[in-house]
Amino acid sequence: MRPSRRDFVKLMMASGIAVAVTPMARADAPTFASRETLPGRGVARPKLGRVDGVAKVTGAKLYASDFRAADMPGWPSETAHALFVRSPDASHVYEGIDLDRLALTARPTVVVTAEDVARIGMRVPEFYAGDLFCPVGKTPFFLGQPLALLIFERFDDFDRARLALRDGDYLKFGAETGPLEGPNYGAFRFTRVAGPTPDAPDIYSPIQEGWISPGFFESSGRPIWKPLPVAKGGEYVKGAQFGDEIRAGLDAPDAGTLVIERDFETQSIDPVFLEPECGLAWYDPAKRNLELVLGVQSPFEAASAIAFLLGEADADHKPASINAQFAYVGGGFGGKDHTPFSLYIALAGMFLPGRPVRLAHDRFQQFQGGVKRHAFKMHSQIGVDRKSGLITAFAADHVLDGGGMANYSPSVAVVGATGALGIYSVPKVDVTTVALHSRGVTAGSMRGYGTLQTMTAIEVLADEICTALQLDPIEFRRRNALATGGRTMTGNPYSVSVRTPEILAKLEANPIWRDRASYKATAKHGFLVGTGVAVCTKDYGTGADCSLGRVEIDAEGRVSIHGDAVEMGNGIGTAIANRVAAHIGVVADRVGVSEIDAFDALGLFTTGDAYSTTQAAQDEAAKNPRWVPAISSATSASIGAHVGTQAAAEAARVLFRFGLWPAALAIWDIPPDDPRAKQWDEAFWQDGMLLMSGLSPLPLKAIAAKAHAMNGITGTMAHAFSRWAWSQATFTVGEYQLTADIDALAIRRGDGDFEPLDRSAVAFPPADYNRIGTAFTSLCGTLVRIEIERATGIVRIDKAYSVLECGEALAPEVVRGQAQGGFAMGVGYALLETLPPFEDGPGNGQWNLGQYRIARASDLPVNDLVVEILPPLSPKEPPKGMAEVVMIPVVPALLNAIFEATGHRFDSLPVTADRIKGVLA
Amino acid sequence: MTRPKWLLLLVVPVLANGLVFAATGMAVSSDTSRTLASPESFAAITDPVQRSAAYFTELGKVLESPRCLNCHPAGNRPSQGDMMRPHEPPVFRGPDGMGLVSMRCNTCHQGANFDQGRIPGHPAWHLAPLEMGWQGKTLSEICQQIKDPARNGGRTPEDLIDHIGADTLVGWAWHPGVGRTPAPGTQKEAGALVAAWVKSGAACP
Amino acid sequence: MTTLSLSVNGRTLGPFEVRDDLTMNDFLREQLGMTGTKFGCGAAQCLSCAVIVDMPDGSSHTNPTCVVPAANFDGKAIRTIEGHAKDGVLTPLQTAFIEHFSFQCGYCTPGFLNEGQVLLERLEKTPVPRATLEAVIAEALDGHLCRCTGYVKYHEAVRAVILADAGRYLV
Repeated sequence: MRPSRRDFVKLMMASGIAVAVTPMARADAPTFASRETLPGRGVARPKLGRVDGVAKVTGAKLYASDFRAADMPGWPSETAHALFVRSPDASHVYEGIDLDRLALTARPTVVVTAEDVARIGMRVPEFYAGDLFCPVGKTPFFLGQPLALLIFERFDDFDRARLALRDGDYLKFGAETGPLEGPNYGAFRFTRVAGPTPDAPDIYSPIQEGWISPGFFESSGRPIWKPLPVAKGGEYVKGAQFGDEIRAGLDAPDAGTLVIERDFETQSIDPVFLEPECGLAWYDPAKRNLELVLGVQSPFEAASAIAFLLGEADADHKPASINAQFAYVGGGFGGKDHTPFSLYIALAGMFLPGRPVRLAHDRFQQFQGGVKRHAFKMHSQIGVDRKSGLITAFAADHVLDGGGMANYSPSVAVVGATGALGIYSVPKVDVTTVALHSRGVTAGSMRGYGTLQTMTAIEVLADEICTALQLDPIEFRRRNALATGGRTMTGNPYSVSVRTPEILAKLEANPIWRDRASYKATAKHGFLVGTGVAVCTKDYGTGADCSLGRVEIDAEGRVSIHGDAVEMGNGIGTAIANRVAAHIGVVADRVGVSEIDAFDALGLFTTGDAYSTTQAAQDEAAKNPRWVPAISSATSASIGAHVGTQAAAEAARVLFRFGLWPAALAIWDIPPDDPRAKQWDEAFWQDGMLLMSGLSPLPLKAIAAKAHAMNGITGTMAHAFSRWAWSQATFTVGEYQLTADIDALAIRRGDGDFEPLDRSAVAFPPADYNRIGTAFTSLCGTLVRIEIERATGIVRIDKAYSVLECGEALAPEVVRGQAQGGFAMGVGYALLETLPPFEDGPGNGQWNLGQYRIARASDLPVNDLVVEILPPLSPKEPPKGMAEVVMIPVVPALLNAIFEATGHRFDSLPVTADRIKGVLA
Repeated sequence: MTRPKWLLLLVVPVLANGLVFAATGMAVSSDTSRTLASPESFAAITDPVQRSAAYFTELGKVLESPRCLNCHPAGNRPSQGDMMRPHEPPVFRGPDGMGLVSMRCNTCHQGANFDQGRIPGHPAWHLAPLEMGWQGKTLSEICQQIKDPARNGGRTPEDLIDHIGADTLVGWAWHPGVGRTPAPGTQKEAGALVAAWVKSGAACP
Repeated sequence: MTTLSLSVNGRTLGPFEVRDDLTMNDFLREQLGMTGTKFGCGAAQCLSCAVIVDMPDGSSHTNPTCVVPAANFDGKAIRTIEGHAKDGVLTPLQTAFIEHFSFQCGYCTPGFLNEGQVLLERLEKTPVPRATLEAVIAEALDGHLCRCTGYVKYHEAVRAVILADAGRYLV
């Protein structure tokens, strides 16, 4: 067991419940924590590979779905099972479940309904606002809305009931009401009018004026975008007037301007992470402690939401403490970030006190209840100067189907809208967006997060412009690409490298592009050949991201790392270990992820909302040295490499500088006044040996032993926060002042406890950076050559190439794998995957992976996909997120290739073989 | 036993098949699409050739049901479900009609239906030989094919009575398990139609 | 209820009394606690639940466990992901999966590992020409779904194991 779990440490106080880690009783089974700490001390493993490699090829218990009560030392050994019952109907009054018809061997011990959660005083966290269960007598608000949890003491009873409910007609519905209306989830307008020259200030921009939303809505929930001459929303009127002017220009272009006006629609899809959502809960009424095992992208949020849920419940249902433990995640793609599933796991535990309860979706239920990607309807107008080929103006209106609950809909709408220009620099932009409620399954976060939809639309438009103006697609992009320092739609420049010209040059020189005409000319009989290109730039980060990291070295030179980021396949554990290794010379053999509870020594607390705070509030709060704008983030938004590794990397840097370096000096016998004592930047590692010119190499083990012997610094933990810039703080370490891109630091000497250091100065990124759409972006360009069989319309991808940049690639093979996986997901989205929105869609509980096709190897050019990762511009260039951007250009590149092959522009997704066959007929 | 919910969801594909039937010259009204008429009910057709063809047309409701067509594909990959989508995961005929070496039919399709996994089963689960492929054909073409020993597994017309009326793999079509609509009528009724058709000269529609 | 005895990774287990409609997947995961075999779809679509079945004739094949009753495994011998490494020593395929970064979340890995191992053992008995290798790998692995990786590195790893010992697997 690791030290962090030996002590009772209080994580936070929420609603009077201590959410904490309790000690676990000794048992023969390994502890959850030791199973989740990889690769594990003494485990033989190949030199190459991920830190979780051995565990994942040997079937070790790792994922939330692998654990039962019997695997948890100190828990009762029997597992009870809870069954989710969801509604396949959102147009009739719900009248209950006919449980009396279930066989006697399939009867639940406990049934949890809307009545029960109301009776005991559950509170729904704001993010999940709405009924946790549809009450009897109401029409379900959406398809797939939970109706009840049925809890069974025996697996066999549960299993029989699951089948009966899946295949039978046990739900009672009454009068037809039609689907219920709901307000929209958010409406925004992003308008920018550039000054006369690139250097001149903008005439109007969101960053100058603030973000605006229309003040008025039709009864349907749709916004009224016109600038109504009324007092309410004065700020809106100003922006809308600029926007309407841009639209007037596009409606009546001069002869020298080409305007293309198009609709584009995208479909709802499922993330299809392979591990369906699941978890364990055990409420021990004697200790009033709730134990949880969860597998989510947002562990801190899940723990906080559960604490809020139960915070004002009656005495029998309010735990005094919650111990949430987080497992490796079997795929997420956004779909396990802020999912309401965790709330129901907690409920299942609270309603069968004394018994560990497992709640798990099967795949039908995952389709029925898991969050989906938003379907978009987009209307776009783009103006291009015929002579120069420069884009003069862009206007678009986006309508998102948010499904039944708000979840991340407002945020997806914003990110989709602000990403709608893709890589382009456009002086006049006006984009409106609204996320609507519907009776569909709730849409939320998924890889690409709105920009997949909007950037597909613009990259297809760009191709159409090139066709119309007979411009080379690479040249068109080169002329219009936003340059480093150029302003984005919100009016701020990116603060990171923008490498569009390099990406374009790579694409242009690639044989797939260079030889496209000759391949087209030599198409086999009965086949059409086409080549497509697209380039996209995608933000990473959300504008208020943070990480926690802790690095320790023992007297034997063995390194342990703890981080709060979640390993869902993204390789974060490996990336953290590699980043730490750069500072302290070895890849740790104990890496713990999703550990929101290993940092109590920092004593952090937070107030307010980091996304919407004011400068005054932030300045006031910052006076307390333990305050940070946010404590722990979801692992999402491609933020792992940049932010998720930052705290551990900085902790490692501090550990080296103030722990290992002084120990090395002592071994070398270099006194403090020797000039070499200040040359820590000159030292470097090779194979676990610290090298310094002119001195004998030192093994890490010897340095560590010395550091311990000197009672020097042997452990560090840090917190980092980014709002498009790092928080920076100064700490006094011994006699030195340290300023670093972290805002909290604790150190451990020898074998002692961690002690927090007070920061002597701190600079948090300004609150008005919240008006930035994004300042971080990375690029990916994709080429595809396809072959379409005329008779069937089947698209075969002959060759493909993706080129991306991500600063320093922390684990290059993980980056390459992400790009290959993004390619596959892009192919599925473009050609295969779709979910009908309503009654015949996933909310009916009858969908599985036979009907819903994701890309198989045979749909992909597994032996003909080349991924190129540009080296960082400078050794100083920090890691940039890339997990989302690699998926995006694949989709428009395929559409552009299909156009080149068929002469037909499809304006909705997916472009199935049947649809292609249809246009070829 | 109550009517499973999923049956309601399958109304659309069933109707769609009804349209196909109409296009192939069958007079199938939706209320009789799930049943088979007895040979006696065709007594009013006086022309023996027409009556024989009418038996086959009625039998066509069975032959053209997804339960039969899915494993009588025109190519090497079966289709699946009432929607007759391509079989997932992708499986192929293989040298013996029982799959490729890396994925044999009977690894999943074992001795009997298993409703847990909504998977059908029978000890002899396999694809009909390629020459017996029916998908994409008109009922008239299927009729010619089913009479041709080169394309019906070397069967005489009399053999067909037993094959359709009594073979247990064929009989699975009327007991296909959860998630699949059974073939219309009963196997016995289908056998009676085959018998009447054979005895009346096996005319094709 | 049915009585079930079987061999799992070389160990004879049972007899167990199992429900007739208990899936093999639930038998492994819920009754034996062997969760290395995954549950992904419950409908034989993703094959993350596939185990190796060793037949009396010496041949082996993978079998999804989610669509087959546990009772049908009575008397059979299976291998699961937990049984590949012996005494902590990884097989060449396990090592290749790690060194090639074949998986990301790893949830589909048990199925790919079992399928790849069966392929290696089949090629050992029936080698194929080098020119057909990519197609042979593609056919063998195509039933398995992966949402993270795009499959490239799984195929690379299997190929690398074969090419590293070409005399054994190729004609």
